[in-house]
This record gives sequence, C-alpha cells and structure tokens, in this order.
Amino acid sequence: MDDKKAAILSEIPRLRRYARSLLRDRDSADDLVQDCLERALVRLDNWQTGESPRRWLFTIMHHLFIDQMRKVNRRGEAAILPLEAGEAQAAPADQVETIASREIMDALQAISPDRRAALVMVAIEGFSYAEAANILGVPAGTLMSRIARGREELRGLLDDSSRRRSIRIVEK
Amino acid sequence: MTRRDFSERDIHMALDGELPGEERMAYDAWLEANPEMKAKSARYIADRAAMRAAFAGVMDEPVPARLRQALLGEAPVKASAWRSRWWLSAAAAVVLAVGGLGGYVAGVDSIARVGDDDQLAEQAIAAHVVYAAEKRHAVEVPASDKEHLQTWLSNRVGLKLVAPDLAAEGFQLVGGRLLPAGEQGKAAMLLYEDAKGERISLFVTADSSATSKGTYTAEGGGPEAVYWLDKGYACAVVGSLPPERLSDVAKTAYGQLLAGISS
Repeated sequence: MDDKKAAILSEIPRLRRYARSLLRDRDSADDLVQDCLERALVRLDNWQTGESPRRWLFTIMHHLFIDQMRKVNRRGEAAILPLEAGEAQAAPADQVETIASREIMDALQAISPDRRAALVMVAIEGFSYAEAANILGVPAGTLMSRIARGREELRGLLDDSSRRRSIRIVEK
Repeated sequence: MTRRDFSERDIHMALDGELPGEERMAYDAWLEANPEMKAKSARYIADRAAMRAAFAGVMDEPVPARLRQALLGEAPVKASAWRSRWWLSAAAAVVLAVGGLGGYVAGVDSIARVGDDDQLAEQAIAAHVVYAAEKRHAVEVPASDKEHLQTWLSNRVGLKLVAPDLAAEGFQLVGGRLLPAGEQGKAAMLLYEDAKGERISLFVTADSSATSKGTYTAEGGGPEAVYWLDKGYACAVVGSLPPERLSDVAKTAYGQLLAGISS
C-alpha cells in the first residue's frame, strides 16, 4: 500500500463519523464515504504529500454532500417518492442507540444541512473556524452564524423531544 | 486585562476554542456576572458533549470491507442497491421533515418490517459488541439485584422476564440493561459470564410481528447471534463461542425464557 492510500485509510473512521452525522442512516453514510474515496482516488495527484489528508478529504466529501442536497431540492419531492424496497430509508435503529443519542441524531437531521455541517465540523470534528470555513467554502462570518443558529435550533429541538418524552411517561 | 463588551457570539467562540487567550479571564468574569449567559453556555457545553457521545461509537467501528476495497482496489467493488443513492435517503429525510406524506411513511414502515429477523440479530449483536466489552459499565442493574432487574425489565419490555439460570452451561448472570429496539420498542439485555470471563448476552423484545429463527453473523465477522422470533416476542443469544456451544447455550436460555414468558 502506498503512503497516500495508507494516510487516507486512517481517515476513514472520521469520514464515516462525519457522514453519519450528516445522513443518519448507516448505509447511506457509508455510500457517501465510498463516493468520497472514489473521487479522492481519481484526484490523488491534486493532493500534496505532507499536507494533511483530513481537510482535503472532508472538502471532497462536503462537496458531494452539498451537490446532492441541492439536486434533491431542485428535483422536488415528487421525483423522490418512488423508492424501491431496498432503497427506502432503513429504520434508524440499525445500531444500538441510547434515547439521548437517538434524540440528538434526530434533532441534527431536522436542522438545515448547511447549519448541520458547520456545527458538526466544529463541535464534533474539532476543526477550527478557519479550517471549517475553508472546507465548507464560506466566509468565516457565515460559518459563525451557521454555528450559532445551528446550536440554538438544536437546543430547541432537544427541548421539544424531552418535553414529548416526559408527556409520554406521564401518560403511562 | 482586556475590557470589552462580550455577547452571545463570544459564548460560541469560547466553546469552540476561538476566544483569544488574553480575553479568557474577562470573558469568565462576564459569564459569572450574567447568569442567563452562563446557563446558555452550560447548556451548549452539555449539548456538545451529547453530540460527541452520540457519534463516538462510529470511530471504534471496523472500517467496512467495501470502503477498504474501494480505496485499495483489492477486489472489484460490487455495486449495491444503495451505491451512489445515499442522497435518496437524505431526500427521504427531507420529505419526512416536510411531512404530510403519511402514505409514504407507512410504506417505508412496512418495507422495514421485511427484515425483522436481520434487524433483531443486528441490534442484539451491536448491543453485545458495545456492552459486553465494558468492564465496569456493562450493565445498568447488577445480578445482585436480580429481583428488581427482572421486575423492571419485565415492566419496560412488556413481557414476563425471568433471567435464565445458565449455571449448568458454566455461565453466571452479570446483570442487565434496557435498550431501544425496532421502531418504537424496547429490549432487555441480560449479560452472562463464564469462569474465563467469556461473555454472552440475551436480547429480548416484545417488538416482533414475524415468525422466524436462525443464526446470523455480520458480514465482517464478529460474534454470532442465534435468534427466535415469534408473534409478540423475539429473543437473540449473542456470543463468540464455538457455534455448536453457542447453539446449546442458546437453546437452554430460550427454553427457560419461554417458560418464564408463558408462565
């Protein structure tokens, strides 16, 4: 295995974690990672040895994610409906999740993809504002407002779900 | 010490490590003087911890073979039904978020039911992988509190659960915990250990509408699940024992569970 591939291989767990926070469903997230790896292979020459593969790979994956989200939005709902059996969104419980984790994952899915990406990039993946802004291709000010709004939105959604949960407990 | 007015924006910067070091003391003092802002900061810190915890497990998962193969080109990549269709799931999420598509949602639900047995086995294996590896936090209620464990799990899962006695097979009960199962359901996990420290777990849920039985191992290897599904309950026994031995232990456990449920 050459050095470049070895370096990319060691980034896969992080790529998978980021993809999972963007897409929730495990198989879909791994498909996104696979698309990213395939594109990275084609562009291996663009990557300077010595440079961290992390930012390079995250940038590739983010572009794939945003491009598809845009296409989905443009195509509208109608085109999305006829899913075949195997393509339907799998039950999210393909992995053991605590109630708290499940609520966080659901809440993240409910905020806009731009805010989700910005927040996750900084809060989970640990990129600096400068790095995240660079990867997402937005000015630092835009990144900051996405993070702030994303956090606030997430807080509201989590409050809603904990309220729903306490109602359910009371009902029993 | 720098003197400047801080705002909510600084809470985010401080949280994300973007606040200049020389402003930190003044910021902390400002936070102390503004309980509302302090509470907000504490809440964001807690949410971030929960976000990190929710996805921490992904880092420990083995790299799926297909991703390794895609990168190393060791084997031709077989295009799955999912390939390059991940955005459909993203799209589905958008649709679900938009709402008002009840028929579609119902459709997804009925499709998801087809794989009930695989799903059960996968959940049981995932639970086993995560919790059996834990030394101090493997269970929520220890075996020393067995009565309570049984009552609690029975109430939550909605089945009369009696923890099987597997002493004849060399296994002692360690304890148990409550887990999510299927779409809405709950599952009980009972963990057992033998003298050598080898662990097996029982995964029991009432969330089952299919009838099936079999064994299941994840694509990349790992522990095996022996499972039974019936209308109203399902059970899986997971462990890394030799298949025949696991099958024997599982049958003993299943027999006792069934006797308990229908008693």
